[in-house]
Amino acid sequence: MRSTVRSTAKNDDEIDAIRPLARVEPGGRGGEPSGAGARALLAEITAQDPAPTATTVPGPRRRYTRGRLAFGMATAVALAAGIVAVPIVLQDGVPSSYAVNLDDGMVTIQIRDFDDAEGLEKRLRELNVPAMVDHVPEGMMCREPRGKLVENIPRGLYSVPENIPGESEGWQMRINTTLFGPDQTFVWSISGKNGTTTTYLMEGPIAPCEPVPEPPPVKYEPEFRAATFKGGSLEGLRVDEKTVGEVLPELRRRDKKVIFAVINVPPGNPGGYGIDHTQEEPVGDHWVVWEAQENAKGVIQLLVTEQRLDKNPVYGGPRDAIIKD
Amino acid sequence: MDDERLAKFEAAYTLAYGQITAYAARRCDSPQDAADVVAETFTVAWRRVDELPEGAEATLWLYGVARKVLANHFRGDNRRRARTAELDAELADLYGHSPDTEVELDAIGRAFRSLPDDDRELLSLVAWEGLEREEIAKALGLSRNAVRIRLHRARRRLSRALAAAGVHGHAESRLVPAERPL
Repeated sequence: MRSTVRSTAKNDDEIDAIRPLARVEPGGRGGEPSGAGARALLAEITAQDPAPTATTVPGPRRRYTRGRLAFGMATAVALAAGIVAVPIVLQDGVPSSYAVNLDDGMVTIQIRDFDDAEGLEKRLRELNVPAMVDHVPEGMMCREPRGKLVENIPRGLYSVPENIPGESEGWQMRINTTLFGPDQTFVWSISGKNGTTTTYLMEGPIAPCEPVPEPPPVKYEPEFRAATFKGGSLEGLRVDEKTVGEVLPELRRRDKKVIFAVINVPPGNPGGYGIDHTQEEPVGDHWVVWEAQENAKGVIQLLVTEQRLDKNPVYGGPRDAIIKD
Repeated sequence: MDDERLAKFEAAYTLAYGQITAYAARRCDSPQDAADVVAETFTVAWRRVDELPEGAEATLWLYGVARKVLANHFRGDNRRRARTAELDAELADLYGHSPDTEVELDAIGRAFRSLPDDDRELLSLVAWEGLEREEIAKALGLSRNAVRIRLHRARRRLSRALAAAGVHGHAESRLVPAERPL
């Protein structure tokens, strides 16, 4: 698998040194596209429709912090086996969308028709979901903002959409109807089965939908970037591995709006993290800060865990080992 | 239109499959991880087939996608991927030989792994994928100048790490740990 490595240029010592580390020899190919694995993968991938817009590519962390959920029908992943829903068709005729009532105010709404806004809104309201649904043509969206977004969406209010078991089109999501606040509305727009469906949780008055063209797809960029790096608003300030109680007073002194992103790390803390949820409500002073990020508005998001971990998951070790300020 | 998309994707898939599987295998500790990265990379490419460049540039673009997939993979993102048993088996075949468990390479491996992630990626793209500066710039979406500067720094850091690990250059530039000449 490995060939003897000789230098090709006199200054390539370091490069030559690491060539033999490659599992597949440098320049070599891994699998063959004609192999069984390659063909099976190609078939599986191309059996799905390519997504109509770039907004359907999910980011590494699915965060719906602004109450928005945008996805294309084609990208819904195959549902893991084991979830069984028994749909009960409601009485009035054959519905285009219908729901399974579960206990404790949990409903599962299944959607197959992405053009019948009126029918979907009616059904949602029958299920105690304070919903408003509009249909916009594919490639269009309702002009935003239509109302005030709810910033702190209760955990468990709704689930990420998933496939309807055994069906290739449409999707379902679970909604906990008991968690809606008094003046809140679930504002949806649908655009046919190849279009984008959006769901926002808003509060207060909602403007009617005024269709406008969707902006061109934006390249994925995380909303929050490191704030303590060169050029960041907290440049020079070290927050990593300090407690919330140590960090907050300084941020308050600087008049920063602070939110908290509670992070999870994979077993064994190998480096890397996922955001479990974000909250405005301060966490306890003993919580540990691993890094501070900021968005375009200068809001500081602290990446925190309740327990101190053996090493900083953001950098897979001490920040100093990675970041040279 | 859809036929065109399919043809374009299949062409890129056939062209790049060998390189992307090698790329994933060189960077993942287990064949399962490598299969995940391969499957996810091509799945993302299919979703973004409209952005997929034609010809040889498709491979560079796919390296860029694979790089992001890999980063997300190790960020604890455990989404279900379009993996198949056949793909797992195929990738597993590439793992018969685990190079840096060999004693003489251990020191080099440790020095290399001590570098920041971005350094390792740049150096690997040169050493393992055999890419030129300009190709790296395309794959990573950087300017050529940025690649040149970063690569220069990465090489310097690797050089220092190798020296610290007691690895020195020899005649013909073959590098081996000083205490264990080949």
